[in-house]
Amino acid sequence: MRREEASAAAAAAEAGTPRSPDLHDLSDDSDYAAAAAASSSHSAMRSDLVDQGSGETAKVDVVYEKERVTIHPTQYGSGRISGKLRLYLQQGSLFLSWEPNEGVDSLSSNSATMEIEKYRNLYTIKALPLSDVRFIRKHTPTFGFEYIIIVLSSGLAFPPFYFYNGGLRELFATLKKHVFIIRSDDDPNVFLVNDFQDPLQKSLSSLELPGVATVANAMSRQNSLSFTSSVDEARHGSDAKHGASSSMTEYVSKQKHRSNDPGRDLSIQVLEKFSLVTKFARDTTSSLFRENHSSGGHTYGRQQQEYVLDNRANDKYKDQQITPDKDSLLSDSMESNKILAWGKPREQPLSVDEWRSFLDPEGRVMDSKALRKKVFYGGIDHVLRKEVWKFLLGYHEYDSTYAEREYLAVMKRTEYEAIKSQWKSISSTQAKRFTKFRERKGLIDKDVVRTDRSVPYYEGDDNQNVLVLRDILLTYSFYNFDLGYCQGMSDFLAPILYVMEDESESFWCFAILMERLGANFNRDQNGMHAQLLALSKLVELLDPQLHNYFRKNDCLNYFFCFRWVLIQFKREFSFDQIMLLWEVLWTHYWSEHFHLYLCVAILKRYRSRIIGEQMDFDTLLKFINELSGEINLDRAIQDAEALCDQAGPNGAACIPPGTPPSMPIETDGGLYVQEDEVM
Amino acid sequence: MSYAYLFKYIIIGDTGVGKSCLLLQFTDKRFQPVHDLTIGVEFGARMITIDNKPIKLQIWDTAGQESFRSITRSYYRGAAGALLVYDITRRETFNHLASWLEDARQHANANMTVMLIGNKCDLSHRRAVSYEEGEQFAKEHGLVFMEASAKTAQNVEEAFIKTAGTIYKKIQDGVFDVSNESYGIKVGYAVPNASGGGAGSSSQGGGCCG
Repeated sequence: MRREEASAAAAAAEAGTPRSPDLHDLSDDSDYAAAAAASSSHSAMRSDLVDQGSGETAKVDVVYEKERVTIHPTQYGSGRISGKLRLYLQQGSLFLSWEPNEGVDSLSSNSATMEIEKYRNLYTIKALPLSDVRFIRKHTPTFGFEYIIIVLSSGLAFPPFYFYNGGLRELFATLKKHVFIIRSDDDPNVFLVNDFQDPLQKSLSSLELPGVATVANAMSRQNSLSFTSSVDEARHGSDAKHGASSSMTEYVSKQKHRSNDPGRDLSIQVLEKFSLVTKFARDTTSSLFRENHSSGGHTYGRQQQEYVLDNRANDKYKDQQITPDKDSLLSDSMESNKILAWGKPREQPLSVDEWRSFLDPEGRVMDSKALRKKVFYGGIDHVLRKEVWKFLLGYHEYDSTYAEREYLAVMKRTEYEAIKSQWKSISSTQAKRFTKFRERKGLIDKDVVRTDRSVPYYEGDDNQNVLVLRDILLTYSFYNFDLGYCQGMSDFLAPILYVMEDESESFWCFAILMERLGANFNRDQNGMHAQLLALSKLVELLDPQLHNYFRKNDCLNYFFCFRWVLIQFKREFSFDQIMLLWEVLWTHYWSEHFHLYLCVAILKRYRSRIIGEQMDFDTLLKFINELSGEINLDRAIQDAEALCDQAGPNGAACIPPGTPPSMPIETDGGLYVQEDEVM
Repeated sequence: MSYAYLFKYIIIGDTGVGKSCLLLQFTDKRFQPVHDLTIGVEFGARMITIDNKPIKLQIWDTAGQESFRSITRSYYRGAAGALLVYDITRRETFNHLASWLEDARQHANANMTVMLIGNKCDLSHRRAVSYEEGEQFAKEHGLVFMEASAKTAQNVEEAFIKTAGTIYKKIQDGVFDVSNESYGIKVGYAVPNASGGGAGSSSQGGGCCG
């Protein structure tokens, strides 16, 4: 099988023909993955040919190839990227390559293809000479998959490669045929490659890593041994046989050190530090790559391939560029973890000066995307909320001018008064014949006195703001008579009125918000069921184990998240926090459904307790209720950002069109089709 | 704190009839006229004693809005007892009782004990439903009946404890299989002098601990 596959690969390389039929027959991956891999393989070969220069046909001899060699760039299981690892000979030298499975979509437009190609170049190992490798560490855990870490002469390390389909023994066997590779005396899992030179020692010294002496000593000792450096001589000389025999003996012996070896622990520490350095170097390389727009040569730095290829991707790359001080980065692993967290750290709120810089002389917002990004990461200084929320909610168009907005306010106030007069003009006599009106008024009267009364703006008896709250809700129930009033609406309106401090403007902002969230309050709760179903699919995508736990414990209706979704966490955070959270959600910067990723983030944050304590539906519902006031909002937003990025288009595919707060899909009967039992 | 049994209760009825105030009066012995309206469900718990045995009542206070019923019905599952509440000053809340009761019968276990509560009996000057009407409805549907006032605490304690007594008697009579938690009853370990003891659950069938 191995020889046959290698031979097929070599034949394909020589002929310059894609091997999709063979690959499909040999692979146990899905058709899509096989097709993607074939496309990737083809792309790689074309790249290799280009690397060799025009006019010259390169002979590539693939001596090892393995599918489902996977890296885990994020802490989340769903963030794994599977690919193909190869060893091949070219012009007498051995090279290693690794390419992710995602292939180029031949139906994409040219610009999209170029974008994808650029990111793939950043990400892929196309041709790593084994002469650049210092050592390889192998790890065979009791549970889980075997993996290797490759460390270069420069001191950089690639992330661990997990061998989901096995094949690690064959990898080392193949390496031993073509390069000198010796097991380390200090750590039986470390395999030293080639000669040892000053550059690595200098790199290790400059990093001031613990255990450097041990590693350096080992390498120094190996230097004293005499080995033929030339691969050709090794293969053809009389000593080759002896060398091969020695390697085979070492391979067969399978030595394992049972004792607790301090050098081993130190070696692991070194590798962990290298991983941190890798992240730093990777981002730096990514930055350099963008600046140089280079697509040729050897690229060792990598970045996770972007799924969503639009302007935002570029913005995200720039923002994620991390340039911490190297010493501080390495001296404190906790601090390093914090700096290198996948979700971007929270920022300061949008300030008055920043807001002014977004406006042109006539008051138009010149770059709404940049504004929304700023608000997503930092929120809004409170004095600006009254103005900026109108844009986020869509009441003001971004390209409207000061003059247009003043005119709009006057027109809208008149319109509001007209709608309000519809119910104000109903006499008590007429009300006796208007059951629906009396019912709604009764509900609203009862609920506004039960809304945010602990907030100073609404506290105390005979509070005028409570009356305004009531008037707006009554007016809305006439403005949208079909939807009417439902509990939870006052939870949305109270912060809006607090910010706007104006009855008419509060009404219009609320009405626009209800265009998106009104389905939460449909009598049949179809909007709620759609969101809870989408949430279920997101959890299945992003945390299959947690999803399976919910399935086994009869929790798949996700009713324990009902309150979170209905009023978008209003009861889970303080009044101040909820204003920040909502403006983050309203940017729609990452997704119109960012609140669902927030649900997933919070559930994942507490998953160990949920699963560990074997919570059933009743216990889980009580636990989730009692998280109110206990959730770290900044961390939850960061986690949600990471999950949203990780899910990419697969996440968007979990959320059907029209799921609130997306605009509802029009039906023949209008926005809300439902039977009215009373009318 | 340990208990011999844990009973799950649900409080149901129209919005604004005083479900949350009844719960607060029972658990905290206080009346709070201003409180947030219930979205989804809220929880309360209290220990009582029956036959010298500690019984924990875990009480689910549900949202009364009609449109939330498709969600709140899921909370009825496994309830051993229900308080069905109407407001004596609002006749429509009495008129909706049959609908609430039908929901409860369909979604909770068949042997759930239901007590009908006519709340706000301190507002006699605004009474819209007579005591006799409430009593008659309860009789026709096999319910226990009480009028109560969450504000004055009249009959609040009695309502919960009487319901618990009825449930306890059903356990003694073998109506409830306590090894099956779908009846809303969990069996615990009664350790009188334990401090900070965990509330464990026993799988013994039909057994009575302590």
